[in-house]
Amino acid sequence: MIDKLCDQAKKDDIVVACLYYDFLARQEQTAINVIGAILKQLAGRAGISKDVRDAFQDGKGDVGGRGLRLADLTRMLRTTIASLPQVFICIDALDECLPKHLPEVLGSLRDIIRESPTTRIFLTGRSHVTEDIQRYFPMAAVTHISPKPDDIRNYLDMRLERDTKPQAMNGRLRADIVRIILEGLSDTCV
Amino acid sequence: MRWLSPLEPGKRHQGVRTDRFAGVGDWLLETEVFREWKGNQGGADKAVMFCYGNPGVGKTYLR
Repeated sequence: MIDKLCDQAKKDDIVVACLYYDFLARQEQTAINVIGAILKQLAGRAGISKDVRDAFQDGKGDVGGRGLRLADLTRMLRTTIASLPQVFICIDALDECLPKHLPEVLGSLRDIIRESPTTRIFLTGRSHVTEDIQRYFPMAAVTHISPKPDDIRNYLDMRLERDTKPQAMNGRLRADIVRIILEGLSDTCV
Repeated sequence: MRWLSPLEPGKRHQGVRTDRFAGVGDWLLETEVFREWKGNQGGADKAVMFCYGNPGVGKTYLR
């Protein structure tokens, strides 16, 4: 999805930022680091704003060299987005965000949309975060993702083509593998 | 730029785009709900799209 947007971005003046939550990295994926990572990507396209430069200079004197707060980063992100034609923010696996960080991230995104209503935000995750998202974005478009038979059939063809023991394969076995896997999926396919 | 965040999501994205099996999930891009969301109809109220599903169904990608 991100690549498709990026392809269109080349002709439509769209800028895309992404973030993949990861259970193993979730201690580091705080709201500050996540919003900072989105800002970092967009600033790469928009150029470093005066806002960001000033904050960097101010922060040099701080203990640890860094004094940014979430509110600072959200403000800088808002001004950066406002300087771009259209921004898409894609965040994957929100369910892998630590619960204590999730409200801060969603709150920052809500602030950004209020300031720049043309910003589009694409989120994925397991169903249990739906309520969290709807609390911040009551009108969010919510879509269920399930494996589609055509996708699975193509995927199985690719995997079977790469079979490391092709001598053990024959047409009937191959057909059975595809059929049985697709039958197993039929309960969850829409 | 590391000052803004130590996270480097671009690296993860490169891994995903290299490993993903092309074409999986393209159906989503053709749905009405996706087109409406992307087409900016509805302004701030319709700014967010959330796709949910069980682990392994292909929300991120299939590889």
